[in-house]
Amino acid sequence: MSLIRIIPLQFSGVEELDKILPMITRRFKMETTLSLQHLDLTPFFNPVRSQYDANKLILKLAPMVLEQEKVIGITDLDLYIPVLSYIFGQAYLGGSVALVSGHRLENSRYGLPHDSKLFSDRLLKCVLHELGHTFGLRHCLKPGCVMVSTTYVEELDQKSDNFCRNCQSELAIANA
Amino acid sequence: MDNKLSILVVDDELSVRDSLSNWFIEDGYSVDTAEDAKVALKKIEAFHFHIILVDIKLPGMDGLELNRRIKSINEDTIVIIMTAFASVDSAVQALKDGAYDYVCKPFDPDAVTHIIRNASNTIQLSRENLSLQDRIKSLVNVEDIIGQSEGILNVLEQVRVVAQTDSTVIINGDSGTGKELIAKAIHMNSSRRFFPMVTVHCGAIAENLMESELFGHERGAFTGAQYARKGKFEMADGATLFLDEISTISMKMQIELLRVLETRRFTRVGGNREFKSDFRVICATNRDLNSMVKAGEFREDLYYRFNVFSIDIPPLRERTEDIKLLSEHFVKLYADQMNKGTKFIGKRAAKSLKNYAFPGNVRELENLIERAIVIGTGDTVQLKDLPFDHNISKPSWESIKDMEHHHIESILQKYDWNISKSARALGVDRVTLYSKIRKYKIEKVG
Repeated sequence: MSLIRIIPLQFSGVEELDKILPMITRRFKMETTLSLQHLDLTPFFNPVRSQYDANKLILKLAPMVLEQEKVIGITDLDLYIPVLSYIFGQAYLGGSVALVSGHRLENSRYGLPHDSKLFSDRLLKCVLHELGHTFGLRHCLKPGCVMVSTTYVEELDQKSDNFCRNCQSELAIANA
Repeated sequence: MDNKLSILVVDDELSVRDSLSNWFIEDGYSVDTAEDAKVALKKIEAFHFHIILVDIKLPGMDGLELNRRIKSINEDTIVIIMTAFASVDSAVQALKDGAYDYVCKPFDPDAVTHIIRNASNTIQLSRENLSLQDRIKSLVNVEDIIGQSEGILNVLEQVRVVAQTDSTVIINGDSGTGKELIAKAIHMNSSRRFFPMVTVHCGAIAENLMESELFGHERGAFTGAQYARKGKFEMADGATLFLDEISTISMKMQIELLRVLETRRFTRVGGNREFKSDFRVICATNRDLNSMVKAGEFREDLYYRFNVFSIDIPPLRERTEDIKLLSEHFVKLYADQMNKGTKFIGKRAAKSLKNYAFPGNVRELENLIERAIVIGTGDTVQLKDLPFDHNISKPSWESIKDMEHHHIESILQKYDWNISKSARALGVDRVTLYSKIRKYKIEKVG
């Protein structure tokens, strides 16, 4: 049976993950589990940018994927890819592995009061978005769809945590 | 045309190429990569990329030179330069060489998304612009006006010549000869073609409304003028004003018109503000304005103002060689419109069309063919599909002999070459009819 496995990687809000697991299961109609395992992330740190290289980290996760499984790593660390100053997440289109960073999802980072509900909503949207890519979904232009490309948190807040009809049909085909 | 935009990423760093291509693929673009300028140029020559992202520092030929080469291959390609903060000066140089924009590495995801989105919009607008320009050009192309007679070829040559100028044109021609089409052809081949041709059917507008129609009116200018309204002179600013049936305007209006044509300035009815409008005038008439001037029905000064360049469209009866081409054109047009399989015109039908005088000119021919396509069956327009009573043949025969020839021929056609019926209708015996057929060498056609 296929399933989605979430691996927290230096992620302090594991209790937040418990809240979003049922929603992930509902959206993808696949069992979602939490897998706690230690991974040393220091090799992926870039001292010049004070950020972690998402491309290298995702390569490290790839061998950990079992058959008929999607793996998503979730971290508090600030992720980057060489051309971009930061990323919310990364995934292989149609692949089995994805990565999400909560670093820039926290309200307090922008000088605003902490809001755990907002953080949890943003995290869920990023996880659904990156997992969507692993099921072959591309960026969607339908306003509100979780697959709409977002580059800052205000945009994240504008979209829903649901897939539009087209993306749902593509997901159904991918799952079949 | 494939609507999916293609992007080429040129960077010597594999990680940059991979990251960007993944990013763009997720956005639905078709993406290719090249590690240096040499590989990039090979790919660009083999395939048209809409957007090319070029790193300014490349082994061998640098990004600046590659940008210039890309522009020499295809000026429309959008080049976006990727640079480090230290080399912003070079990026500015690239912009001077025609690059669309530059982004500093590492990019802010939002910045790169916006640049690519803007570039896509630019490409989309450029495509739309080209397609609209093509559509405008194809609206009335001089080459598309049907006819090979000397008369119509002369008209088209005059259209070509006068279209390039801003001169006032007067088009003379009988009703149905296509005066408005010729006016459109002049407008569409002039530098004013991207503005509309504003048409005023002078004969169709009541005398008391003409002033407001041409000059516009201010709010409250007269009972019922609830809103201010632009007139045709104002609407034709930068464009062409086509005055159809100019001979029908009143003497009072002729004076007003003359004043506007001389100054290109006017005021709206009920207003004081003076407007200026830059329009080119084309007018058309089916009456002889010169005779009207002599008869005192048309102002001489206005006539001379209009008569800068005059085009006379010959009636269809004077260019019978065009009837076949026009008929075939209308058959195709209406068969396509009505989704019918009509492709040809039968010999008898064609002969009847050629012999007909067409008092209603091309408009009448068009209507005849449209009707024939509606009622006809099969792939050919037959004589029976045409509303000829077989007594409407060209009434231009002068001798009794010619008249007899054509009358016998039409009776034979009417009775489908049934000799007995035809002879009875003609009031002669069959032997006489046979001898007449031999005498006039009448042959069965169709």
